[in-house]
Amino acid sequence: MRKTNKINIENKIMDKILSGEIKMKPKWYFVLGSILSFIGLTGSIVAAIFFTNLTLFLIRKRGPGTGRIITMLDAFPIWIPIIAVGFFVLGIWLLKKYDFSYRKNFLIIILTLFTAIFISAQIINLLGLNDIWSQRGPMRRLYPRDHTYKYQPYPRTIYGR
Amino acid sequence: MKHSEIKSKTDEEIVEIVRNYNKEQFVYLVRRYEDKLIRYAQYLIGDYDKANDAVQQAFIKAYINLNGFDLKKKFSSWIYRIVHNEAINLIGKDKKTVIINPDIDFDSGENTEEDYLKGELVAHTHECLKKMALIYREPISLYYLENKSYKEIGDILRLPIGTVSVRINRAKVILKKICEKQIK
Repeated sequence: MRKTNKINIENKIMDKILSGEIKMKPKWYFVLGSILSFIGLTGSIVAAIFFTNLTLFLIRKRGPGTGRIITMLDAFPIWIPIIAVGFFVLGIWLLKKYDFSYRKNFLIIILTLFTAIFISAQIINLLGLNDIWSQRGPMRRLYPRDHTYKYQPYPRTIYGR
Repeated sequence: MKHSEIKSKTDEEIVEIVRNYNKEQFVYLVRRYEDKLIRYAQYLIGDYDKANDAVQQAFIKAYINLNGFDLKKKFSSWIYRIVHNEAINLIGKDKKTVIINPDIDFDSGENTEEDYLKGELVAHTHECLKKMALIYREPISLYYLENKSYKEIGDILRLPIGTVSVRINRAKVILKKICEKQIK
């Protein structure tokens, strides 16, 4: 190493610390950061499950059947799957901050999370919780107004409503 | 606290002292890692002055975020990671001007397969490293030149140990080819 050119960074750093130019962030800042990131991760996964469930629920009610895809896309509230994907991406981004995430194959973590969200959403959809949520309680506002469906085991066409 | 007392303390113990009692003791962490980190940043950036800037910036960031450091982890991996990020930022900003500095000195080893590679690396470092992609340059310089374990490299580069192993093995092959060409 070129010792002659070596700049004494030790003094520069210590001067900044001792003069108070740079200060340590307090402990509560990091504790709060961890709590918020955990809440954010949990919240984004729950939201991703809910909106995936809502997407599956609406697909089940509207089709898609052969020849009806364009009609379905016309009427389908496309913001719902977009929000589901948004929360999924947010969840992945937050998950990446955790230590264990880089020790494992991240692709497997993404696939596992995606599968878990999809299965959970499917279970909620099949349990008929959408009927309850779409008709009463604070979740009702999140359901498209003209879709207060009763649970049906088989899809109904958009023309058959 | 006496100079000899603090010298016998681990990095993590010094971090605890800096956090809770005496911020001036941070200087011991700077002294312990300054040269190693500048050398590592230099492998990545290829410019001594920029490596210096990256390390200075890394120490400042480390100090600011010292309360966020988990004492169960290794401080060395943490500070290498910060330097790595700073270096990558600089490389990103200044991709076109990256050159490998020829004035880096290294330790040499005995005549084993590993040391052969190390020897080759020592002799032709700047030329060999210059021709390697960054993803191989990072782990191999940490492994051979900084003597870091696979686990530490994984912690620094945020990679699974398996990936570190694969990259080092590939880097060895690439390095051998590059160095052989250099010799010819």
